Amino acid sequence: MKEFWEKGLLDPLELLARQILSVLPSILAMSIIFAAGLLVAWTASQTLERLLRVVGLDRLCDRLGITSALLRGGVKTDPSRLVGQAAYWLVMIFATVAALGALNLQPINDVAKSFLAYVPHLVTAGLILIAGWLLSNFVSQAVLIAAVNAGLPPARLVATCSRWGIQLLAVAMALEQLGIAQNIVVVGFGITLGGIVLAGAIAFGLGSKDLAKDYIERGLSIRSRERGTDDLRHL
Amino acid sequence: MDKSTPITVESMPTASTPLTAETEAQVAQLAETDILVGIPSFNNVETIGHVVRAVSAGLAKYFPDARSVLVNSDGGSTDGTQQVVAQAVVDLKTLFVGDQQSPLHKIITPYHGIPGKGSAFRTIFEIARRLRAKACAVVDSDLRSITPEWLELLISPVLDQGHDYVAPYYLRHKYDGTITNSIVYPLTRTLYGHRIRQPIGGDFGFSGYLAQHYLDKHVWESEVARFGIDIWMTTEAIASGARVCQSFLGAKIHNPKDPAADLSAMLVQVLGAVFALMEEHYSVWSKLEGSKPVNLFGFQYEVGVEPVNVNVDRMISSFRQGLSDLSSIWEQILSAETLAGLRPLGTCALQEFRIVDSLWARIVYDAAISYHKGVMPREHLLKAFTPLYLGRTASFVLDTQGLTSAEAEGRIEMLCHAFEKDKSYLVSRWIHDSTNA
Repeated sequence: MKEFWEKGLLDPLELLARQILSVLPSILAMSIIFAAGLLVAWTASQTLERLLRVVGLDRLCDRLGITSALLRGGVKTDPSRLVGQAAYWLVMIFATVAALGALNLQPINDVAKSFLAYVPHLVTAGLILIAGWLLSNFVSQAVLIAAVNAGLPPARLVATCSRWGIQLLAVAMALEQLGIAQNIVVVGFGITLGGIVLAGAIAFGLGSKDLAKDYIERGLSIRSRERGTDDLRHL
Repeated sequence: MDKSTPITVESMPTASTPLTAETEAQVAQLAETDILVGIPSFNNVETIGHVVRAVSAGLAKYFPDARSVLVNSDGGSTDGTQQVVAQAVVDLKTLFVGDQQSPLHKIITPYHGIPGKGSAFRTIFEIARRLRAKACAVVDSDLRSITPEWLELLISPVLDQGHDYVAPYYLRHKYDGTITNSIVYPLTRTLYGHRIRQPIGGDFGFSGYLAQHYLDKHVWESEVARFGIDIWMTTEAIASGARVCQSFLGAKIHNPKDPAADLSAMLVQVLGAVFALMEEHYSVWSKLEGSKPVNLFGFQYEVGVEPVNVNVDRMISSFRQGLSDLSSIWEQILSAETLAGLRPLGTCALQEFRIVDSLWARIVYDAAISYHKGVMPREHLLKAFTPLYLGRTASFVLDTQGLTSAEAEGRIEMLCHAFEKDKSYLVSRWIHDSTNA
């Protein structure tokens, strides 16, 4: 009975206790790292946000049209706070990975390693998306103004096409950077762009034959006639 | 400008503008001059000969005792412009001029720096500074209507009357110079309080002191060096406290500019320069109220001006497309009230289409404030202004059909009053937006 008590019951309990005791420091380390991560993330985000407000990021974004573009996209947070939040979550991701690494468990370590190796791709893809979005806004505004000043009736359509074309290209580049179905993305993008061009060519060449004729005629002859009847000197 | 304390020239070190070795040698040989006339050029072989002859005759006829130098500042012409300048001579006897004391020296030099009229002027100012010129004038190289009298009218107010800056006053068709009439003149007059009718005329007279003041300004690597030099010179003269006046030069006829020249590019250049100068001289214009007339020299006469054909329908259609397609951009540039005032024009009958003076003044002020605030890339803002400007021009044409040039001038005067009356709006919003920023 005594043997059963010692070997059957106390030994497993002792083993469990030992195992728990051996893991406890790791859990404690994980908790400390996570808490420190939280603190660092909060401090970094607050400091960065205030610093950006002082250097005038919000004004710069106003001037570049980023704030209004964000508003149009339903984002009401100002750019300084957005960057602060981004910094917070970036630090938190690293802190979580580091905290999990403190457990020193092989599967978690493997996942953490592959995640860390993937981070540069994530950052690059994010930057590509942001740059593509900003560029598309700038270009579509420039195209819209130029098209209106040139008197092109489908000015808004042309501007929208330029916006979506650039954003599509940015998404394709970002997905390629992330390694998601690289071939499909490249082929899909090629097919989409080719399809748009072909559809446009067919629509304009066949469906709008008369319109195309009128447009070219206006471009070649009527414009010169109009100039002949309007010789305003602006300066 | 008080000659006893010339505009900080003595106290400020002047970075010397580079000249070619040949020009340096010519300047060293001449040492000093009384009058300097500058002609900027770039491939103007067709017209520059006439301009040089008119300048030579004018200097000989009206300033026979003065030492005079003609400077051709060329941007690298390949059509023989420089040779024409060198060879251009005028038979003074046919002009009843026989007592010229001092021969006219010609300096034909390329200019350095950013290509443009501003860089050409910089070289002219530098030569004027080194030769200690008392009075200077600059005239365009594509002029067909310049006469020897222009030289007297541009230089005598400086030499004999003590003025520092002489702006031109041309006779023009009522629809000639619409950017000047609807924006630059009313705005410059309202801001700086001087009624200079042609602030971007292109032909000016100025004192040697003012030439040196211009040189001391660090604008030669900016857009001023490329374009905007005319409005910059006028504004800088007024803002520096120089004594300004005007001279009546008659009609200005020059080689036609490229008809395909982009209107929005013109607006970017001119309006951009005016708005940029507003930022620089806020302390000057924000305190001024009203405006005062500026002395006008020369014998005024009527002259037949070239007729100008205008296509009002096309301008209104451009405005309406802007109202429809650029509304999201105009919402950022214009105030809500201003935009609300424009909306009915999208559907009204053609003959009822009017952008009234008070509304137009608000549009220009809103654009200036948005430019200052930087609500969007500045080139976009200025280009998006094109349909608004065309709408106002169409409105002015409809309003002045059948009026004489003098009566149309009366309408421009009324527009100026509307600008002046509403200046407090500009000042208050400028301060308010700056404070918020």
